[in-house]
Amino acid sequence: MLDVSRVQKELVECNRDKAISGVNITLHDGGSDLSHLSGTITGPVGTPYEGGTFRIDIRLSREIYSKDCTNLKEWNWSRLTFVEVLPSMGKCTEQELCAYPFEPPKMQFITKVWHPNISSQNGAICLDILKDQWSPALTLKTALLSLQALLSAPEPDDPQDAVVAQQYLRQYPTFVATARYWTEAFAKRTLVGIEEKVQKLVEMGFSEDLVRNTLESVNGDENLALEKLCSG
Amino acid sequence: MAEDDDFPSSSDPEGAGCYFSDQDDVLEETVLQGLEDGHEEDCQWSVSSVITKESLLAAQKEDLRKVMDLLSLREQHARTLLIHYRWDVERIFELLDQKGKERLFSEAGVTIIQHKDLDLSSSSDPVRCNVCFEDVSSSTVTKMDCGHDYCNDCWTEHFIVKINEGQSRRIRCIAPKCNAVCDESVVRNLVSARHPDIADRFDRFLLESYIEDNNKVKWCPSVPHCGNAIRVEGDTDCEVECACGLQFCFNCLSQAHSPCSCLMWELWTRKCQDESETVNWITVNTKPCPKCHKPVEKNGGCNLVACICGQAFCWLCGGATGRDHTWSSISGHSCGRFKDDQEKRTERARRDLYRYMHYHNRYKAHTDSLKQESNLKETIQGKISISENKESKIKDYAWVTNGLNRLFRSRRVLSYSYPFAFYMFGDELFKEEMTTEERDLKQNLFEDQQQQLESNVEKLSMFLEKDFQDFSDDEVMDTMSHVINLSNVVDRLCKQMYKCIENDLLYPLQRATHNIAPYKSKGLERASELSLCWDSDRSMSVKTNPEDSCTQRNSTANGSGATLPGRYSVILHGSSSDESGCSSRKRPRTDTLGGAARFDLNMPAEVVDKS
Repeated sequence: MLDVSRVQKELVECNRDKAISGVNITLHDGGSDLSHLSGTITGPVGTPYEGGTFRIDIRLSREIYSKDCTNLKEWNWSRLTFVEVLPSMGKCTEQELCAYPFEPPKMQFITKVWHPNISSQNGAICLDILKDQWSPALTLKTALLSLQALLSAPEPDDPQDAVVAQQYLRQYPTFVATARYWTEAFAKRTLVGIEEKVQKLVEMGFSEDLVRNTLESVNGDENLALEKLCSG
Repeated sequence: MAEDDDFPSSSDPEGAGCYFSDQDDVLEETVLQGLEDGHEEDCQWSVSSVITKESLLAAQKEDLRKVMDLLSLREQHARTLLIHYRWDVERIFELLDQKGKERLFSEAGVTIIQHKDLDLSSSSDPVRCNVCFEDVSSSTVTKMDCGHDYCNDCWTEHFIVKINEGQSRRIRCIAPKCNAVCDESVVRNLVSARHPDIADRFDRFLLESYIEDNNKVKWCPSVPHCGNAIRVEGDTDCEVECACGLQFCFNCLSQAHSPCSCLMWELWTRKCQDESETVNWITVNTKPCPKCHKPVEKNGGCNLVACICGQAFCWLCGGATGRDHTWSSISGHSCGRFKDDQEKRTERARRDLYRYMHYHNRYKAHTDSLKQESNLKETIQGKISISENKESKIKDYAWVTNGLNRLFRSRRVLSYSYPFAFYMFGDELFKEEMTTEERDLKQNLFEDQQQQLESNVEKLSMFLEKDFQDFSDDEVMDTMSHVINLSNVVDRLCKQMYKCIENDLLYPLQRATHNIAPYKSKGLERASELSLCWDSDRSMSVKTNPEDSCTQRNSTANGSGATLPGRYSVILHGSSSDESGCSSRKRPRTDTLGGAARFDLNMPAEVVDKS
């Protein structure tokens, strides 16, 4: 079961020094679900990500496990060996057993990032501590700090995004430029900026609703939004 | 096909030998002896034993013991080490020299530095657990050997998650980047307090690591699964017979297929599945069209056949022709005259197919014979009992069963020798390895032997099918000498063939390695019973006072250190009091090898200690 009290403590702890650490965690969309959070980290100084604020979607698992399983091993013909049948696969009574912090939180960048270990498509992150190297003694804050560290020290040999990794290794200056451009374009928009863009586009003759939706869909990029609006 | 080991105990080699006066006498005797005691002889270098659910613990005791003794470790540390190094004791000893104790241990996640402050810290002050962030009393905190401590609830959750993930064998400490494997007794105690079923599972996974993480032990592939595993010592390229009767190749787990290599067998079975029935029909009933190569069936009429593609061809030779014909000839075509075929490819495809058919038919014929001959077993048993009750000076009919078993074995070798030849002399596997001349030479050599074997096997089969129960004594003597003689010859020929395969055919290969399970003159030896509890079960039924042994079982069980749950110990310790005499009554073959002596090592360490 999700350890609610621990999550609450973590939130309090983390937000106490958010100004210094550059790490902030809030409930997702201001809701009340402790299993769906969203965090932000600031781009490390001296990197192409400097000055950006990156949003990360955090989901804490409440995986259902079950007990009283009788069929725990199954002969697997293709592998010619016995495989453990996870209780969740068996037909037995379900019971919530374990979740965060005993299983790693699921994290994904919402803000678009140009980085070898982060998918430029969907923001998926390749980081060992979010997978098999997770330890229950780590916290959301340490995980986010590790993401920050990942931004300053990419590991192109173990890439999530092959295109970015290739660029990083072969055309480093281009990589830096692209990463900086993406930071400017996606990680620096403010609410005020959005309103200005909306107003600009509305003045061009598009309806406000349409403008807002389009801007949302392209992550606030004014040029892209205009392109999209024009192409209909 | 059940090739049983239950030779009648009445058969004695001398008895058979005295009817038989040949210069082969000595050989004969040794062969028969071999048939009887079945344990020394050819392949000492791979010995297989059955590991049942009950003997699983005993089976690993020996390895644990060795490691515990050499490195002066506790059992759980030895187990962690063995799991990490796949139960390869020799490798552990090797790595100990190379890396030294410390690295050997740390890589496997074994921590032996004892933290002395363990007791000092047990004051009543509350301690902050770094996982749940609660302040808990220090009595509910557990410190692992690596020095990291967390509250028991958090440990338990962690263990359960890992066990459910199938990580039972290597549950790491909670602390980030700490490589230490958690003490199994701590895991067991904490988890069983909350979820006894999961703790049981944990124990079983630990035990089964001996099978799963071990190159020398494999599950028996029987369906439905018999619950046994087989351990092989020595060369693992061998065939084994499980206690459930299934014979299989230890390497690839499919049915025993020697002298085919695993790769050959895999290719062959796939080919047979793909092609068998269809191909049978196609080769018998059709010819490929010389133009489009589709198989064409002749549904009547003269020898001028037309394919649906429009091409006309001669049914006799398969060559393309014009469409004009009379009943006696096709215009412009005479296949009586030899002509270099233009359509080599067609020819080639057909040759391949015929080649496959050739080998497949013979393979199949022998497999079928084998099936039919296994029915012979019962008939012959009947004939023997008739003969034995007859007024006659011949009382010993062991030669019949011995001959029959020899027939089964050689028939099997013979039938698998065809797929072997198919691949050995075909293009699929070894095209680059031999020149055509070499190949022809080798093929001739092999086929000579194969043919000799074939004709002798058939003769043996013929003599065994005779109704010797109606014979006069002289005729029986005659049949017997033939059967014994042929058995010898056939055995020798099998051996020769394997030798030829090994030395002349496979050995010179440069690129591919094909390992072939060795020829077993006496047939596959059923994996010996390592399971001590088998004996104990039997002794239970033999003993006059079963309750006595029951209490004995329980008392030893209670006395054991119980590092593992009692139920395993119960079964195992009970067996220690048993003598091999009881078991050998049912299995006459096991007592000749002095099984007890060999299994001593596998008894639970505690038992060895006591004795």
